[in-house]
Amino acid sequence: MNVPRWLQRFRRDATASAQSRPVEALTRGVVSEADWKRPGVRWTMRTVHTLLLVFLIISCIGPLFLMVKFAVTPTQDILRTPLALFPNGIRWENMVLAWNKVQVSKYFWNTVVIAGGSWFFQLLVATTGGFVISVLRPKWSKVLNSLVMVTLFIPSVVLLVPLYLTVLNPPLLGQSLLNSFWAIWLPAGASAFNVVIVTRFFDSLPREVFEAAEVDGASTFRLFWSVVLPMSKPILGVVSVFAFIAAWKDFLWPMLVLKRAEIQPLSVRLPAIQAREDLGVFLAALTISTLIPMVIFLIFQKLFLSGAGMSGAVKG
Amino acid sequence: MNKTKTFAAFAAAALSLGMLTACSDDTPSGDDTTGRTKLTVVGLLPGATEEAKAALDQQVADFENQYPDIDVEWVEYEWKATTFSADLAGGTLPDVFEIPLTDAQSLIANSQIADMDSYVKAMPYGNDFNPGVLQYGLGPDGHIYAIPAKSIYGIGLHYNRTLFTQAGLDPDKPPTTWSEVREYAKKIADAVPGVAGYAQMATSNTGGWQLTVATYARGGRMESVAADGTATATVDNAATKAALEFLKAMRWDDNSMGAEFNYDWGSINQAFAAGQVAMYTSGQDVYTSLVQANGVDPDSYGLTTIPLEGADSGVLGGGTLAAVNVKASDEVKDAAMKWIDYFYLGKYISEDAAVATAQLQVANNQPVGTPELPIFTSAQLDQYNRWIAPYVTVPLAQMKPFTDGIVGAQPIAEPPVATQDLYAALDPAVQAVLTDQNADIDALLATANTAAQRAIDANS
Amino acid sequence: MKRGLNPKKWVQRGGLAALLFALPMIVIFGVFSWWPVTQSVVMSFQKTNLVSEPRWVGWDNFEWVLTDPNLPIALKNTLWFAFLALIFGYPIPLIGAILMSEVRKRRGLYSALAYLPVVVPPVVAVLLWKFFYNGAATGVFNTILGWFGLGPFPWLNSQDMAMPALVLESTWANAGSTVIIYLAALIGVPAELYDAAEVDGAGILRKLWHVTLPNLRGVLFITFILQIIGTAQVFLEPYLFTGGGPANSTLTILLLIYNYAFGASVGANYGAATALSLLLAAALAVFSIIYFRATRAWSTT
Repeated sequence: MNVPRWLQRFRRDATASAQSRPVEALTRGVVSEADWKRPGVRWTMRTVHTLLLVFLIISCIGPLFLMVKFAVTPTQDILRTPLALFPNGIRWENMVLAWNKVQVSKYFWNTVVIAGGSWFFQLLVATTGGFVISVLRPKWSKVLNSLVMVTLFIPSVVLLVPLYLTVLNPPLLGQSLLNSFWAIWLPAGASAFNVVIVTRFFDSLPREVFEAAEVDGASTFRLFWSVVLPMSKPILGVVSVFAFIAAWKDFLWPMLVLKRAEIQPLSVRLPAIQAREDLGVFLAALTISTLIPMVIFLIFQKLFLSGAGMSGAVKG
Repeated sequence: MNKTKTFAAFAAAALSLGMLTACSDDTPSGDDTTGRTKLTVVGLLPGATEEAKAALDQQVADFENQYPDIDVEWVEYEWKATTFSADLAGGTLPDVFEIPLTDAQSLIANSQIADMDSYVKAMPYGNDFNPGVLQYGLGPDGHIYAIPAKSIYGIGLHYNRTLFTQAGLDPDKPPTTWSEVREYAKKIADAVPGVAGYAQMATSNTGGWQLTVATYARGGRMESVAADGTATATVDNAATKAALEFLKAMRWDDNSMGAEFNYDWGSINQAFAAGQVAMYTSGQDVYTSLVQANGVDPDSYGLTTIPLEGADSGVLGGGTLAAVNVKASDEVKDAAMKWIDYFYLGKYISEDAAVATAQLQVANNQPVGTPELPIFTSAQLDQYNRWIAPYVTVPLAQMKPFTDGIVGAQPIAEPPVATQDLYAALDPAVQAVLTDQNADIDALLATANTAAQRAIDANS
Repeated sequence: MKRGLNPKKWVQRGGLAALLFALPMIVIFGVFSWWPVTQSVVMSFQKTNLVSEPRWVGWDNFEWVLTDPNLPIALKNTLWFAFLALIFGYPIPLIGAILMSEVRKRRGLYSALAYLPVVVPPVVAVLLWKFFYNGAATGVFNTILGWFGLGPFPWLNSQDMAMPALVLESTWANAGSTVIIYLAALIGVPAELYDAAEVDGAGILRKLWHVTLPNLRGVLFITFILQIIGTAQVFLEPYLFTGGGPANSTLTILLLIYNYAFGASVGANYGAATALSLLLAAALAVFSIIYFRATRAWSTT
């Protein structure tokens, strides 16, 4: 499919604005160049920043560092001398047992599948719905929009019990969704927050493009797929990060609806085995469960941080 | 011109939603395509050892050999008061599951477990059950719903022989009075730093459960039921108070209970197996699970009866019944009965089954011979114990104080009405005594009594 | 567009396509949001055990909830949690973010470090801290504090310390994302405003007070209310750390709701659970309205 020139241009513009305000882009803050030149200010700031760095390292990396250490420490040492440096040697076996016996890999995969499915449905609902509300704008979309907006103000706790009963006995299906991933994927799609972000972004797109596309004879679907979506890559990235993180973090809901051990995510599985597993192996399992998202974070750091910053901007 | 594309795309989207109806990971039990009856049963605790899993897998294979038309799948299962309700409501329980004695009556009244009467009665031992135990599984129509199966337990005092020795105590002479328990706990805590001389469960309703144990052991009762069936909570009785005073003295005067007071059934087992707890009370059959899930060191394990003091004192007895999902079809119920017979009951009746099961357990390093209380008759249990005698792997000699002592003890059933709610009401009292030096025991029990009565009233 | 009058025309003008595009939203929101919300209102007036037909019981559920002796305890604990979360979790990220915004080299390193705990799966963080909080003298935190001659502290085994311990972990796990939100807002403060203030001879602290903070006001108001709404529904920490103990000292409203609905082994009380959920939602709604009314005057100036 060859892409029209006007579309290429808009894609480029959209991608350019995508890198909106990364954390590094701050031109200046409270302290001016003149302030910096004063030795008192300079030294205070340097000291404060060094202290801040030390504080961040101790408080943010410290606990994780300890966790990694315990993951390879014999259990009796963990219990008796938690901070001694391997008085009885390193026990790599913990990690092996965590991987093979606790089967972290399996539950990790479940977590990925759950997050992936939730991501898909959140994106599907938010983009198609946002497209109707912001771009197509049929008369009834206002009603639809307000109905969705209302749910933004309903705390999720209200839904806990009735949603559970809905999943237990869903309309039309006649079969309980419990113990299947659908019980998590589908309710995840009903996120008003995503709809707000996506709709707002669609609103900011230049309407002339849509008109130009229509003149070109593009169908509604083509307008959506080849014009709106490509221009929305940045916001889709943000929504994706949110969707993934939310699904990753969820505990109560998966605990209620996924009762079979084989399909549980890590968040549900780990608490269930803590009273059985050897402490060293258990901490090794916690470590592996953390290392994987940590690596993903370090790779996609920019996306994460701009997404997290964006959430404040959108909420504000 | 592009309308078709639009429709195609939406057909795809609709299809993805429509997949819902077609695709579900939940395979309902019953006949599968091969014509075999599929049966899901409860197996081991989450996190059980590989050897325990291997043993169970072998039993399943053996069972399927005997009954080629039944396909058994076992799932992990841990009964917890705080999660069972969701399992039940969600219909996610397997076809055969285990319930505590005390829950059976509510489940029968709510039609939440299947009527198994005809299947049980058809078994050779259908009419031989210990009536004191069977009564819990009978419905108002006199039918058998829940089947006495997994275990009937009396509470015992579990102790760590190694820690006894380290503290200069004789592991063959466990304490026989509560003041000896206190004295020994203090000695152990002083001699072995970082170890709790005595520990007590306190969370997920187990605090109330064990407080009831301690109350019964001092001659008190938690509920009184009038002739017309109305129950009254009596948790503010003198024996319960004495039990809490006892904990308070050990915790705050002796400081012999360690530093962890959030134990429940599973975590106290774990701490005991790890050598962090020297004594605690729990069902006498817990050794099996200590081996299967926590890898306890058999040499350090000791079991005795709990001290009984005062008139009308006795040992709290409870048990686990097998129940079948109320939605099970007749074929599944039939298969379920066969499994219950194979897995739980048959071994008590048939020497061949007893020996075969024991051999299989031995081959997989699983415990054989953990002391049991009779599901049928005492004579019959004795006979079973003789059958498996050559295969016993548990340190029976170290459990002798219990097996000798339990003979004359009066068994007392758990509080009959709103049992778990009553336990839940007592949890905070136990926790308060263990975490607050100035806890007002009278006030705590008064609060607990009000809460328990509220639950009892709501229940009726 | 006159729908219904000329369906063919309506379809040609894209009405059908719009409807099709709206379908996922209508279905998903309908089944998993609008329907359950309606249900929760209905259920709060019913008694149901999922086996027999639901029975209308009027205000009974509300009465049961409001007379529960645990409700005042849970309410007090929830407010206490929210208050502590505010004390720990509100100023620290703000100060951190302001300081970080002045970092000239490797600001990315600072923000990545601050964000790192957010990446740890929350359940892992809780289970890890639960182990750190071991009340024995050989517990991790007690060992560290022991170096300075402090402790040992009972942490989760004390009715007074349990809640602050929960909040401390929760702050550790969540502060990173707040820092990043503040950082993004700080970047949005126009440089000209600082320049102008400097022309007036303002020092660093005055600039902070008169330029930076006023410009963060919108974000600060929002994070405040979001934090309140979030902490009112706290579940994970009390459930996994203490189960509401010791002696109900960490029993929160959501934990109480969970206990009503799922926590009692055979007597699930869905009616009471939905009734309490609605009461909580109503309380939050009232609070939010008052809050937005009260802050509107400030945040628009």
